[in-house]
Amino acid sequence: MSEQKQLRTYAEINARIESKTVSVLTAEEFKAKVASEGLAKAAKDVDVVTTGTFGAMCSSGVMLNFGHSDPPIKMQKIWLDDIPSYTGLAAVDAYLGATELDDSLNMYHGGAHVIEDLVRGKPVRLRAISYGTDCYPKREIDTWISIKTLNQAVMFNPRNCYQNYATATNGSSRMIYTYMGKLLPEYGNATYCSAGEISPLLNDPYFRTIGIGTRIFLGGAQGYVAWEGTQFNGKPPRSANGTPRRPAGTIAVIGDLKKMSADYIRAMTLHKYGTSLSVGIGIPIPILDQEMAKYCAVRDSEIFTGAFDYSEPKRSRTVLREVNYAELKSGHIEIKGRKVPTSSLSSMYKARQISSELKKWISKGQFLIQEPIQKFDLEREFKPLDVRTKEEVCR
Amino acid sequence: MKTKYVLTFPHDAADEPITYLLVKNYDLKVNILRAEIDEKGGKMVLELDGPSDVIKKGIQFLKSKKVEVRSIEEGVRKDEEKCTQCGVCISICPVGALILDKKTFKILFDDDKCVVCGLCIDACPTTAMELLL
Repeated sequence: MSEQKQLRTYAEINARIESKTVSVLTAEEFKAKVASEGLAKAAKDVDVVTTGTFGAMCSSGVMLNFGHSDPPIKMQKIWLDDIPSYTGLAAVDAYLGATELDDSLNMYHGGAHVIEDLVRGKPVRLRAISYGTDCYPKREIDTWISIKTLNQAVMFNPRNCYQNYATATNGSSRMIYTYMGKLLPEYGNATYCSAGEISPLLNDPYFRTIGIGTRIFLGGAQGYVAWEGTQFNGKPPRSANGTPRRPAGTIAVIGDLKKMSADYIRAMTLHKYGTSLSVGIGIPIPILDQEMAKYCAVRDSEIFTGAFDYSEPKRSRTVLREVNYAELKSGHIEIKGRKVPTSSLSSMYKARQISSELKKWISKGQFLIQEPIQKFDLEREFKPLDVRTKEEVCR
Repeated sequence: MKTKYVLTFPHDAADEPITYLLVKNYDLKVNILRAEIDEKGGKMVLELDGPSDVIKKGIQFLKSKKVEVRSIEEGVRKDEEKCTQCGVCISICPVGALILDKKTFKILFDDDKCVVCGLCIDACPTTAMELLL
């Protein structure tokens, strides 16, 4: 039997979701079923597999619309609880990014913290200045907003949910502080940031069912895949099972911040690095055929990533070794003959919670599977930035 | 019994070999968990192991040397509301006081093992680990 022989269509799956007869398992449950009953049986029995991840996703932020004051103001510069936001848009639209800091560079209160406060319904101080125009005469405003007073609060994250990520360690003789956390000297520890076998994009390595328009769990609400994520790399080195062995695909996501929960949207401070946002994402994978079942059966021991020395201040760091997620999750890996303690920057606890929650939504008929409106271009390469001349660019 | 103490040294007590005297005169097992002492005085976190009446005598001795002594019921606290159970603290902890419960995937904090070194405090991205000294 061809692996791509269709077992069910999106329409059939959705009809079963609506009649509450759908068979949906979390990624963990599905892998256990494959192990005990075999791939063919699991593929035949299960319509949808739910995945989840909860980790630092720096490229995140929210589009806000404040409404108009009287007299109106064309906000030129704004601060939300002292955090600047981008207002190079129309009069009262702004984009608040997760990693934005205030003038004092306080890393314990950045854009991510304001986003979490908005999600929690807390009041946020809005200050804005303007040069004043004939149609927008007001030149400054100092007021309070909350998630309820905003017209729109839309989370739009240009790059989330990395399909695999690097493992970080530190071979130097001093402590280093990175976006992968605090790294102890002399390979004192190693950190990784992926839920591994239950992480969404590792269960659909070639993006057969995840593309523009895919409905997802985003921060506790229903959201969508808006586009390919920035830095999307469709051509990473891959294992025979299709999973990338390096950071690869990414997704841009969009959803209504007003419906999200602080259980799944959490501000982070990476000491001496900056702020970031933990975002909870869950993606349902329809088991259209046996090939999709095979992808969703992948185990931690079959997913590899590179371990890198983050004390090397270079774009392309040397790979110390390749490790699989079973080793990483065991708590130790071996690097240069040393037993190096490992731990994760992304929460397996929350990732499992998200995959269970999404399973619940689907079982209750509250969440339908959206076929991608457009697939991603896997030929897309991830290009570097070099210092070049005008002439070199035109070549 | 084992108990942890924070000792605060005035500047004129800092140059006496106090831990040596605790071992020699009181036969206490002394484990220095943390120490920041200079010519102006400073702080030390000690774990004392021995019979409770002897520990008491040792502490009286310390107090006689003008050292301020405070027992630590709790040196580090994990705020369950703030913690997202990511576990980045696990590989930072030198004594295995932070561990992953492989059933629930929650991060467990073992107060008894903690040596109050403070490495986890700024490693926690959600400021869930608090140093209570």
